[in-house]
Amino acid sequence: MEKADTGGMGQDTILDIVDVRKRYGASQALKGVSLRVQRGEFVALVGPSGCGKTTLLKQIAGFEYPDGGRIAIEGQDMAGVPASERPTSMVFQKLALFPHMTIAQNIGFPLKLRARPADEIARKVREMVDLMYLKPEYLDRFPQQLSGGEQQRVALARSMISAPKLLLLDEPLSALDVKLKKILQAELKRLHRSLGVTFVHVTHDLEEAMMLADRICVMRAGEALQVGRPNDIYYRPADSFVAGFIGETNLLDVEVIEVRPDAVRYRAGDITDADGLLPRALAADAIAPGPAKLMVRPELLAMAKNGEPYPSAITAEITETFGKGGAIQFRAVTPGGQPVVVEVPGTSHWPARLGDTVRLGWHKRDIYLLQERA
Amino acid sequence: MIGEGEPKGWRQPELWAKALPSVALQTLFFLAPLLMTVLLTFQETRSFMLQWAWSLKTWSDIFSRPHYWTILWHTLWMSALCVALCVLISLPVAYALATRLQSMSGHVKVLITFAFLTDATLKTFGWVLFLDQKGAANFLLERIGFPPAMIGFLYTDWATLLGMVYNLLAFTIFTIYLSIANIDRSLILAAYDAGASKWRAFWEVTLPLSRPGIWTGSVLVFLLSVGVFLEPKVLGGGKSPMSAELIRQTFETRVNWPLGAALTIVLMVTAVFVILLFNRVYSLRRHGAAA
Amino acid sequence: MSKTWYGDLPKYYQRQIAALGLDEAGMTRRRLMKSAAAAAGVAAFGGSIGHARAATQMQYMCWEGYNDARIIDPFNQANDTDISFDLIVDSPGGFAKLQAGASREVDLVSSDMPWVTRMGPAGLALELNPDDYADVYATFYDQFKPPFEPLLHDGKTIGVATRWGWVGACINTDVSKEEDWKSYDPVFDAKNKDKICVMDWGDWPILPMALHAGINPYEELDDAALEEVRKVLRAMFKNTRTLVADLTQAQKGLLDGSLLGCIGAGSYLTSAVRKQGHKNIIARVPDPRNGLKQGIIWVEATAIVKETDQPELAQKLLKHVVSKESGHILSLLDTTCNVVTNKGVEQLYSDEEKSILEVDYMWHAYDNSEMHRIAPNIDDMLAIWQEELAAAQ
Repeated sequence: MEKADTGGMGQDTILDIVDVRKRYGASQALKGVSLRVQRGEFVALVGPSGCGKTTLLKQIAGFEYPDGGRIAIEGQDMAGVPASERPTSMVFQKLALFPHMTIAQNIGFPLKLRARPADEIARKVREMVDLMYLKPEYLDRFPQQLSGGEQQRVALARSMISAPKLLLLDEPLSALDVKLKKILQAELKRLHRSLGVTFVHVTHDLEEAMMLADRICVMRAGEALQVGRPNDIYYRPADSFVAGFIGETNLLDVEVIEVRPDAVRYRAGDITDADGLLPRALAADAIAPGPAKLMVRPELLAMAKNGEPYPSAITAEITETFGKGGAIQFRAVTPGGQPVVVEVPGTSHWPARLGDTVRLGWHKRDIYLLQERA
Repeated sequence: MIGEGEPKGWRQPELWAKALPSVALQTLFFLAPLLMTVLLTFQETRSFMLQWAWSLKTWSDIFSRPHYWTILWHTLWMSALCVALCVLISLPVAYALATRLQSMSGHVKVLITFAFLTDATLKTFGWVLFLDQKGAANFLLERIGFPPAMIGFLYTDWATLLGMVYNLLAFTIFTIYLSIANIDRSLILAAYDAGASKWRAFWEVTLPLSRPGIWTGSVLVFLLSVGVFLEPKVLGGGKSPMSAELIRQTFETRVNWPLGAALTIVLMVTAVFVILLFNRVYSLRRHGAAA
Repeated sequence: MSKTWYGDLPKYYQRQIAALGLDEAGMTRRRLMKSAAAAAGVAAFGGSIGHARAATQMQYMCWEGYNDARIIDPFNQANDTDISFDLIVDSPGGFAKLQAGASREVDLVSSDMPWVTRMGPAGLALELNPDDYADVYATFYDQFKPPFEPLLHDGKTIGVATRWGWVGACINTDVSKEEDWKSYDPVFDAKNKDKICVMDWGDWPILPMALHAGINPYEELDDAALEEVRKVLRAMFKNTRTLVADLTQAQKGLLDGSLLGCIGAGSYLTSAVRKQGHKNIIARVPDPRNGLKQGIIWVEATAIVKETDQPELAQKLLKHVVSKESGHILSLLDTTCNVVTNKGVEQLYSDEEKSILEVDYMWHAYDNSEMHRIAPNIDDMLAIWQEELAAAQ
C-alpha cells in the first residue's frame, strides 16, 4: 500500500504539484503548495474560504499561471500551456452553462471545438445524457428551463464528454439543497468509480470530502497543512487546526516532556494517567517537548461506570446535554476548567444528568498527541 | 418565463386608475402630434399659405416623383452603413473596455461621455477644419510625402459617413460594453476549458451573448442616423442630402407643410418597418438556433 | 437616494463634473435660476442695468444684425422698453411663423423685402402712411423713396426698405480673373470642376442660374421655361461638388483658394472678409445677357405687425432702425457688411468703410440687376432643385 500522507511515487502519478506559489497584489494566496495525485484517485481540497483551494484549482486548470513552483500533468510541465490545451476539465461553482445554447449544444461544445463530425458529437452527447440519467427530451431545451440538479448533471456531462484525464470540481454542489446534494454526491462517487477518471474536488464541506475522497488535502492561508486518507486526517490530524477543522473534538492540555524514537512521555494536568507514556506513532510527526494537546474524539470517550477500568480518564461535571437522535451529546467541564464533549450511542435511558460528575475514560490507542502549528 | 399573474393584474380597476393619467399624457403628447401630422398631409399650399382643402395631391405627388424615394433609399443605405461601421468599431473597443482595460475603463468612459456631450455641430465643423485643404490631415499627409488626398475626401458621402459614425459611435460602444460587462466571466473560462482559443471563445460565447447590446445599439444608431442632416450638409458638401434635410427644406424653404409632413411620415414608417423586418430576421435566427 | 449618473466614476471626474455644475445640485441650481429668471421676466435675466423691469415689452423679429446692442440699447433707454428678439434664419420660415400665430407677439419685422411685402395680402402688416415717414425718407437714396413699387400692395406702403445689396458671383481675384465673370459661364466650365461653391440658401442660387439660362424667374413660367431651369441646374450640379449653407465655410474656401467662385450670394458674403482686409474678395454682377440683367438686388425691409399693441412705439422703433446712426452700425457688422437705403449714412463712412462696402460699385450693380421679388413659380423651381440634387447622387 502507498504511504498515505505523501501519495505514491510511481509512474502512476497523474498530477504533480511542487511548491506552487501565487500572489494577488499584496496577498500571498498560495505559499508553496505541493501535492501529488495518483491516476484514478479522488482527491478533495478542503479548507475555510480564502485558504487558496480554488486558487490552486485555477492553476491546475490553466486559467492562471503560478508565480513559482511547477505543475506537471502526466509528467508534462504545464508552464505556459493554456487552459484550452490541458487534459483537464472543470465543473464550475456557478456551473457556467451557456445560456444561448441548448443542452445538446452545451454538452457537445467541447467536441464541436475539436471539429468532430456531427454524427459523432450527437452519439457522444446521447451517451453522456444516458450516463447522467438526463431525459433525452431535455436536449433541445435551454439551461434556464432545467432545475438546479438537472443543470448540475448537464455541467458534469459537458465536462466529461471530451474524456479528460483530470476532472476539476470547484464546489459544484454548494448551491444545492441538502437532499439534492446527497443524491449528487452519490452520483459523483458512482461516476468516479465507473469512469476511472481522476477527480480533484474543491469543497468547504468536510462531510462531503470525507464521504467522497480517497485522500483529503487540508489547506489554510495558502498552505497545505496535511494530505492523507480521510481516517488519518480525522484521527491523526497534523496539528490542532486540522483537528478542530475536521469535526468536533476534545483537545486537552498536556505537556510533552520527552520525545524518544519509540515513545513520547507527557505530563497531564487533569488527567489520571497510568504511565503518561505513548507510542511514538500516536503523536504528530513534528511533536517536540513543550505544551501540547491530547486529542480524543467525542465518540471515543466512554462514560465509565463504577469499577470499569480505564487506563486514562478525566473527571468532569456535565453542563449541557443534547439528544441527537442516534446519539446523545454531553458537554462537561473539568475541575481545571477545560471543556469536554462526549458522544454516546443513543439509548432510551440517559446514562447521566445535568450536574452529574462523571469519569470519562478512553483507550490509549484512541488518542493522539499534537501541537499548535509553529 | 413571464408570470401567469401578469395579464390578470391589468384587469384590476385600481391599476387602470393609476395608469390612466400616464396613458392620457402619452396620448396627448405623442399621438396627438402624430395625428396632426397625418391630417396635415391631406392639405394643400398655395403661394406659401396652408389651404385646408382635403385632397390627395401631396400623396400623389410623393408617389409619382422618384426623387423622394431616391433620397430615402440613399438615407437608408447610409444609415445601414453607419450602423454596420458603428458595431464593427464598437465591438473591439467595448470588449477591450470590459476585459483588458478594466482598470482604465472609468477614465475611458468619461472621455467618451464628454466627447458625446460636446455639441455635434462643433464636432462636425471640427472635422471640416481637420479635413479641408489647409487642414491638419492634408498637412500631415504632405509632411510624410503623400499628395493632399484628404481634400478629395471632404464633401463626399464618405465624409458624411465619417461624421455620422463619429457622432453616433458612443451609443453602440455603451450598449455593447454593458452587454459584454454583464457576461459571467466563468462562461468565458468554461469556453477556454472546453478547448476554445481566445478568438473562438469570443466568437462562440462573448459575441452571441452581447447580441442584446448590439441590437439595442444598432436600433438607436439607425433611428438617429435616419434623422441626420448636419453631417451631409457640412461634411458631405450638401450635394447628397438625406431625408431629414429634404424635410427641413420642404418645411422651411418651400414652406410646404403638407409635403413636409408626408415626407416625415414616409421616413418614420420606413424606419420602423426596417427595424421590424430586422427584428423578425433576428428572432427567426434565434429560433433557428434553438431548434 | 437614487443613484447619480456619475456615481461610478473616479473621484477626480466627480469633482470636475461638480465644478462644471453638471452634478445634481448644479442642475437643480440651474433649473431654479431658469425658473426664477422666467418669473422675473426676461429683463432680470438679460441684465440691462437699471432696467430691472422696463415699462414696455416689445418683440422684434429680424435677421441677425438688427438686434445689435448698439442699435437697440439706446432705444430701450430712451423709451423705457425691453425688446426681445425672434431671429430669422430663413425668410420663408419667418413668414410661416408669423402666419402660424407669432404675429400676436411680434411688434416689428425686418426681413427680406418680398416676404415683408407679402405681409400685406396676408393681412399681417400695418399699412404705413408715407407722410408719417417724410422725415425718414428725406435722406433716402432716390431709388428707395416712395412710391417704392416693390414694397407696395394695392398701392399701400407695407414697409420701409433698410439694408440692401447685390447677388452675383463672389470671387477671389488672386485665383480668378474679374473679366472671366462677365457672365456665369465659369460655373459650367469643365476646368473649374469642383471649384465652384453653390450656396445652399433656398431660391438664391436658383434665380441667377435661371437668368443665365435666359429665363426671367420673376415672371410666370410655363413648363418649357421650367425645363430650361432644370437643364441649367443639372449642368451646374454636374460641375460642382459643394453646396454650402454656412457663410463662414464659403468665405474660408474663397480665401484659401479652394473655391474660385460662389454662386447664390454677393456683397452679403464678401463684405465681412473685405472688412478683415482681404480686398481680393469681391462680389460682381455679370453683364446683361439675352436682354436679361444677370444680377439680383436684394433689399431688406421693416414693417409693423398689424396686431401690435404698441403702434406708436413700433413706429418709433422703425424710424430708429432706418436712422443714420443705426444705419451706420447696421452696415458694418462683424458677420456681414451691407449698404443701407439711407443716403445720409454715406457721409459717415470713412474711405476704408466705403472700400469695404464697394460703394463705388453699388450703383453699377443696381443698374445691372433685377429687383428681387417673390418668384411665382418658386415652389416648382425648389422641387426641381431637390429632384436634380437627388438625381446627381
